Amino acid sequence: MTRTGWRDYAWRLIHAGPQQPVLHMALDEVLTDEVAAGRRPPTLRMWEWPTSAVVIGRFQSLRNEVDMDAARRYGIDVVRRISGGGAMFMEPGNIITYSIYAPEALVAGMSFQESYAFLDAWVLDALKALGINAWYQPLNDIASPSGKIAGAAQTRRRGAVLHHVTMAYDIDATRMLQVLRIGREKLSDKATQSAAKRVDPLRSQTGLPRAEIIQRMLATFRELHGLQADVLSPHELALAQALATTKFSTPGWTAAIP
Amino acid sequence: MHGEYKMSGGKLVVADLEVDAGRLCRVQISGDFFLEPDSALDVINAALEGQPAGADATQLAHAVERRLEAGMVLYGISPAAVATAVRRALGDAA
Repeated sequence: MTRTGWRDYAWRLIHAGPQQPVLHMALDEVLTDEVAAGRRPPTLRMWEWPTSAVVIGRFQSLRNEVDMDAARRYGIDVVRRISGGGAMFMEPGNIITYSIYAPEALVAGMSFQESYAFLDAWVLDALKALGINAWYQPLNDIASPSGKIAGAAQTRRRGAVLHHVTMAYDIDATRMLQVLRIGREKLSDKATQSAAKRVDPLRSQTGLPRAEIIQRMLATFRELHGLQADVLSPHELALAQALATTKFSTPGWTAAIP
Repeated sequence: MHGEYKMSGGKLVVADLEVDAGRLCRVQISGDFFLEPDSALDVINAALEGQPAGADATQLAHAVERRLEAGMVLYGISPAAVATAVRRALGDAA
């Protein structure tokens, strides 16, 4: 496979209004497949959502990661995504999450580790422009002097790569730890998980509203790689709504690893 | 039985399993690692199913290694890390 460059594609941006977490799971699958099939140009999608959710990785055990009683008590949805990696905690406005859907040719010949850093290089530029000194920390984290800022996850399907990233804007760590079970073993090399009440590197280090940071990020992507506003087609939305119902809302998927 | 292991520079690997008549059964590996394709997880679980509970980490790692198919990619996890998580589930000291 010959490697392509960012500028070989006419990148599209999808930044719709708030959508349910389970629909985001489905959109990631549908849009990856649409790019793989050549029906959609490579796309950057920025997420917005109106409700709270825990999103666990493809290979995580539901009961090992999530206190389901607590999730029910606080009205927090629990969903499983199609990529590996760790659990994330989303409340409206607390994180910035985006997905990149690209042909695998864009990362042809790269190791997984190289492809993670490559696909997020524009974000490091955007963060620097916002005054944050950030770097890629293998395997899949973006870090700054004050700790982890973001976590990335990838999966590859039919010749396309899905690369999505969640960045901490202003997280209520107390609530997060009430629903997520963060094991002792996992904490063994993360000294930063102390008694912090908030995890807010982007808010505290930029002093900017979330929406402003997103606009600055999109401006950086546009400048580096080109980016044209787009919307979901009715067909894509219908496919995603169907998958949200038939797959991502079902216990068979969410508890695939109980 | 439950064991966890985070390999250095890698991700967390969790093993949940039972032992019946001296052999591993109902083996479920999980964690925040990455596998391509995702069916590789079933292959890893199946490789461990039925292994002797007395098998050491090297033997368990080989059992996993042998079953992995061409084109399967493990990221943040290795057969050795899986074997260590399984041995911990079986009661080996952390």
